[in-house]
Amino acid sequence: MADIFQSTTIPILEQMVQFTQARHTVLAGNIANIDTPGYVAKDLSVDDFQTRLREAIAEQHSPSSYSAGEPSGVTQTSIGTAAQNAKSVLMHDESNVGVEYQASEMVKNHLQHNMAVTIMASQFRLLAAAISGNV
Amino acid sequence: MFSALDISTSALVAQRTRMNAIASNLANINTPYNEKGEAEPYQPRFVVFQADASVGTNGAAGVKVASVETEQIEPRWKFEPGNPLAQSDGPHKGYVAYPNIDMMTQFTDALEAARSYEANLGALDITKDLAQQTLRIVA
Amino acid sequence: MNPIQSATSSPALTPAQSPDLTDAAKGSTSFKDFLLNSMQQVNSAQQTADAAVEKLATGGDASPAEVLTAVQKADVAFRMMMQIRNKIVQAYEDVQNVRV
Repeated sequence: MADIFQSTTIPILEQMVQFTQARHTVLAGNIANIDTPGYVAKDLSVDDFQTRLREAIAEQHSPSSYSAGEPSGVTQTSIGTAAQNAKSVLMHDESNVGVEYQASEMVKNHLQHNMAVTIMASQFRLLAAAISGNV
Repeated sequence: MFSALDISTSALVAQRTRMNAIASNLANINTPYNEKGEAEPYQPRFVVFQADASVGTNGAAGVKVASVETEQIEPRWKFEPGNPLAQSDGPHKGYVAYPNIDMMTQFTDALEAARSYEANLGALDITKDLAQQTLRIVA
Repeated sequence: MNPIQSATSSPALTPAQSPDLTDAAKGSTSFKDFLLNSMQQVNSAQQTADAAVEKLATGGDASPAEVLTAVQKADVAFRMMMQIRNKIVQAYEDVQNVRV
């Protein structure tokens, strides 16, 4: 029954939203600890997450990974694993950038999140329209 | 997405570095020792900006601090014969070397930096608003 | 008083000349072709939207306006198709209900 979502981009957007929310928490922690001595800013690697997502999508598109009896929930888990591994924290030095950089990253993350949520809501509305037959 | 955000952020960082230099100059306006502890007066710092093409896209460029330079200006001589730092001989015998920093110039620079900071914050706000409004395409 | 003439001697009723549809249809497509074409267009719009969203999610150079416009276009195209389908079904039911 969950296969009706496999033809939409909802699983991808779901992973994106989960990632942006997790990253928001990390960045908020950075901003909270601006004046903490010895604190090193942390971040979730966006490139890492996007690479794993790309691989998971490619796997989903290629029929070689299909096995009868197992629903395409296989690729669902691999996208899930990608997001889990992306939570590996990437430490980097503060150097000269400080609160401006953290705030700017948070804004970018926020925009990504809002976009993913908006598109996901639109997809759900479309599915509801298709199911009910009322446009 | 929205590299305008990165450009504005680079400007904010650059202006804050400039404020740091100005603040350091103002704090050390009467410091006869330099940071190494030698009996040389503090020399004012100034930042050199440079356009940073790696930040923007489509020819737009951000800004970065190319270097923080130290001016070499003649110190201000003050007659203090009792001061252990006073020159023992030479043309400035009995004078102590103090930094020759003009407070007014530094304050004007600080104001300019603050206004630039505000202007970039305004640009950042508009960029954020742009992104939010874009979401209205999907009703 | 004319004698009643037999029905067979009356001139044969010629069937009403239906307008020559084939001539008018030359150069224009039939409804079936139009339908299939539209469905293909809706499908390709959906695929474009999906590709744009994937590009956005994996960090490709998709501008947000591009992605959102593609998604909305696919949305509108799909809803239009739904409405056409509803009307066709309704028309079919209306025809079915015609008492012969």
